[in-house]
Amino acid sequence: MPREAEPSLNERQFVLQALQENLRLDSREADRYRPLEVTFGDEYGVAKVSLGKTRVLAKASAEVTVPYADRPLDGVFQIATELSPMASPSFEVNRPTETEVLLSRLLEKTVRRSGALDTESLCLVAGQKCWSVRVDVHVLSHDGNVIDASCFAVVAALRHFRKPDTSIEGGILTVYTPAEREPVPLGWLHSPFCVTWSYFGEEGEMALLDATRAEEQVRVGSCTISLNRHGEICQIAKLGGTPVEAVILLQCTAIALTKVKEFSAYLDKKLAEDIKRRDAGGRSAELTAENDR
Amino acid sequence: MTVSAAPEAALSVLPRADGSAKYSHAGYTITASVNGPIEAQRRDEHPYEAHVDVVVRPAAGVGGTRERHLESVLQSSLTQIILVKNFPRALIQIVLQIESTPGNDYVNTKLFQASLNFSIMPALFQTAVLALLSAAVPMRATATASVVAVVSQDKEKKLIVDPSAREIEAAQSVHVLAFTSHDELLLAESEGDFSVKEWDDVYETAKKICCQPESQKAGIEMVPDDDNARGPDMRQFLRSTLEEKVAADLHWK
Repeated sequence: MPREAEPSLNERQFVLQALQENLRLDSREADRYRPLEVTFGDEYGVAKVSLGKTRVLAKASAEVTVPYADRPLDGVFQIATELSPMASPSFEVNRPTETEVLLSRLLEKTVRRSGALDTESLCLVAGQKCWSVRVDVHVLSHDGNVIDASCFAVVAALRHFRKPDTSIEGGILTVYTPAEREPVPLGWLHSPFCVTWSYFGEEGEMALLDATRAEEQVRVGSCTISLNRHGEICQIAKLGGTPVEAVILLQCTAIALTKVKEFSAYLDKKLAEDIKRRDAGGRSAELTAENDR
Repeated sequence: MTVSAAPEAALSVLPRADGSAKYSHAGYTITASVNGPIEAQRRDEHPYEAHVDVVVRPAAGVGGTRERHLESVLQSSLTQIILVKNFPRALIQIVLQIESTPGNDYVNTKLFQASLNFSIMPALFQTAVLALLSAAVPMRATATASVVAVVSQDKEKKLIVDPSAREIEAAQSVHVLAFTSHDELLLAESEGDFSVKEWDDVYETAKKICCQPESQKAGIEMVPDDDNARGPDMRQFLRSTLEEKVAADLHWK
């Protein structure tokens, strides 16, 4: 596969000089995201996110499996990220690039390790049967900031997802098909989102949100902050690059919180709209077999 | 879940790929991207012709043998219509990302080992052709495909065009046929029990869908008789999709 074309010296200079003059290529402000849009498919658990020209599709699915021997009371939850040549010809099938490894690790830390999904509620019969939830992330088009878009897509897909309803009677587990019983949502605890800052300039003194691909190629460092709308930080990843002043990082975290609040409100609104769209006949309350806690 | 009866397509949906297309028909939604001709890897390099690389990616789970099989079938038939001799030592890369498949409300599917249904083939094929057209890859001819299932009903054989997941379960045999724009048979894959007579019927039905002559050109709307109303006219669909795209692209003129 061909290597990703590196920006020429002229391009590099152009982007950097424009940034020195406080201008971005698409005339955005430094702390402004490109238009973020999420759409849900007809199926449960399919979320398509577009962030400018970056497109990510996430699909959540579930099946009954045997839990891990060392964690008999927990369900299985995994996030699969595989970048295909569709995102960029430089990605190869079955050969993970650095971008892919970093992306999957960040999603793992943000969504899985922060306990966003209640894995204990996925347990059906201790030590014998549990739900295994899987999210597949497909990057359709890579135009920078894949991390934030993917994280948003994963959270959106999981919150939209419904797993088949089950019941246990006399030690016999029954999994109901969608035709028999309305599927139920997952046990969701909080919604973490990633906010990625890119740093430019000799000492990383310029910080930009939501860098495009051209900007990503000339940046000197980046920092991904994952937090939820309550301001609880799940992780901060500043992997290599130019060192950044602590004060700048603190400012970045504060701005990240306001962005996450926006994301959270937007996702809540979109999910409510989708529920309304599905509930055209107004019968979903009758159909559900779920009990209030 | 509503399943759209008429096929729908959009060209050049992805900003970064050389060509791309999104196609949805009978519950399947597929996005394809085409990059090419690009530099081939050493092992794929052919001194006289371009290597066509097809990647089929299921929506959920990892691909297995069935996906590899679909890839190899698609690869060999697409190599036939692409002018591969024009690009020696190059690579034409086609990625087909499945976004949704028609759900079957009556079974809980095993999801992690994705095993794709045979009936997805025409959708994959059609998306690949649209994406190739969008990428302006030179081709000998365009192609259209369709799937036909043979179901026995009250001791009588019935043909179903674009069968649903439940109909495929009940079907005796499923056939996928593709035709080029010169009305030549390009691909014929079958699964299940069937006789030669049945296959001939399937062939005629598929040909009717894929290779309908252009009769509506003169502006006279033909009244579709019952026979023709059985399936969509794929060739007309391909043509109108491209016409729309060209009209939109040349809007400034």
